[in-house]
Amino acid sequence: MTLVQVKNVTKQYANGEETITPLNEVNLEVHQGDFLSLMGASGSGKSTLLNMIAGIDEVTSGEILVEGTDITKLSRGKLADWRASHVGYIFQTHNLIPVLTAYENVEMPLLLLKMSAAERRKRVEIALEAVNLTDRATHYPRQMSGGQEQRVGIARAIVASPTLVVADEPTGNLDDETTEQILELLQRVNNELGMTLLMVTHDIEASEIAKRQIRLERGKLTERQSESTNREITAA
Amino acid sequence: MFQFLPYLLKGFWGHRARAMLTVSGTAVALFVFCFVSAVQDGLLRLTQDKQAQRTLVVFQENRFCPTSSRLPQDYTKHIAELPSVTGVIPIKVVTNNCRASLDAIVFQGMPAEKLRSSRELNLTAGSWSAFEGADDGALVGQAVANRRNLSVGKKFTINEVTVLVTGVFQSPTTAEENLIYTHLDFLQRARGQNSVGTVTQMEVHLSDDADVDHVAATIDAHYRGGPVATTTRTKGMFQADTLADLAELIGFIHYLGYACVGLVLALVATTTVMSVQDRIKEHGVLQTIGLRPNRIFRLIVSESTLLSTAGGLLGIGAGLVFLSFTGLAVAAEGVTISFRPSMDLAITGAIVSVVVGVLAGIIPGIQAARTKIVTALRQAG
Repeated sequence: MTLVQVKNVTKQYANGEETITPLNEVNLEVHQGDFLSLMGASGSGKSTLLNMIAGIDEVTSGEILVEGTDITKLSRGKLADWRASHVGYIFQTHNLIPVLTAYENVEMPLLLLKMSAAERRKRVEIALEAVNLTDRATHYPRQMSGGQEQRVGIARAIVASPTLVVADEPTGNLDDETTEQILELLQRVNNELGMTLLMVTHDIEASEIAKRQIRLERGKLTERQSESTNREITAA
Repeated sequence: MFQFLPYLLKGFWGHRARAMLTVSGTAVALFVFCFVSAVQDGLLRLTQDKQAQRTLVVFQENRFCPTSSRLPQDYTKHIAELPSVTGVIPIKVVTNNCRASLDAIVFQGMPAEKLRSSRELNLTAGSWSAFEGADDGALVGQAVANRRNLSVGKKFTINEVTVLVTGVFQSPTTAEENLIYTHLDFLQRARGQNSVGTVTQMEVHLSDDADVDHVAATIDAHYRGGPVATTTRTKGMFQADTLADLAELIGFIHYLGYACVGLVLALVATTTVMSVQDRIKEHGVLQTIGLRPNRIFRLIVSESTLLSTAGGLLGIGAGLVFLSFTGLAVAAEGVTISFRPSMDLAITGAIVSVVVGVLAGIIPGIQAARTKIVTALRQAG
């Protein structure tokens, strides 16, 4: 089942007098349960595409349909509501709220949804358990390692059971051992919880854990089919 | 919105030095605001009191300080016979300082029975019988008693007048609590033999249908050719005229109140702007999670309102406690303005704190809500 349809999306922005076009008439389909990695050189527009699919950046033209809703047509307020219930975002730099504990950070997205305190507590506990951080629930970000912070970030992204989890270079700031743990965790999120994952990375090894690997070059997407052939995605 | 209260409070705790400084700055400004408002309230109460508009004060013409006004006491009889006059009280006023002073002592001597019938005094210590039975007895206002540490049974001397405290009173007219009431003849004798038979002023009570201006004009016209000419005004006008210089000063001081409000606005707005600039990325994260821009705006306005209100309540509380316990009053020419705490003052101060807090958060709130998420997420920190 198609979850996300990116249709003829173009992104342009001005840099002085020059107009930059990182994405030009891009098309992409993401299916329910996919784990998709998006690779490309720095500045190729992969994070921009991810942000547009997550509803935090605007398209210059084109459509992005998520479960049939064209999110490019939503107002800022409605888009925020949509993000609250449909998107979990994992940042490269974790971006936890420093004055809140791990538990409170994970609870934050649930405060925006209608549910009882008991249901909220249950969900936060499950999410923290899923990332193996139950014993760190009362710790503040400053009291945790980078890897632990990223696990809290993942728990925060999955706690509301979103339709889509997006991760922007989730291992970019981590050492090799922690990177491996985080990638394993992301795989579990996809396999065991059945969540659809879209990950931007520049790390080839990281991209290989995904079910589908997409490359963005000169504003166009190509999907790796096998060792030898790549297919340019031209139609949604 | 309340579910985000722990986030707000933890944010204050996370930046407690900044929050504490803002709260204490706001508290100091609201303390001064409270004090200035109390001074203005005191003046307004004195000059705009309803009873003060229906009571006349007869004073010697072209005299200002009570020590210089000497009216023959027998004027009382004639004034009492005028139409619409329901009562006349001869009053001798003695003060230790005719100029503006924060610790002026004002004695008012009047016949005991007139004192009892014309003033709503609530004795908190001592008794009327003790006062009536002692020639040198004095009923001391609560504010003076607090200020000078006076209690029943104590004798004290001011300006060669020695009295025995036979009672301490409270009054609904707060300025009264800065007075010391004695017997009229005692105060006349205490000021020397040539004071006997003279009084400083006369208080004329009128019927409800009286034409106040007409009665005043009649009294002054009658004595214009007499041994001592008079000036008769309503009690409110008399007090306003007597305190004219002070009133001008107090009128100017109210700008200090506005300055305090401006100071709080600037202080809380600066703190909020700094707080927003420090957390641009955090607000980007919150919006990514799903907070609407208007919710970000409300969070920031709530933050500034909480800071301002906390400081405001602290300052107002301190101001009210200070005013309650010090019994401060300013007096000039025998008329006193008392600075008293009141519920109105507390409510006004609280409203000012909340409104200023809301105003201080509007611009930083709009700024944070309008910042694009991707731009916010690119910020360092």
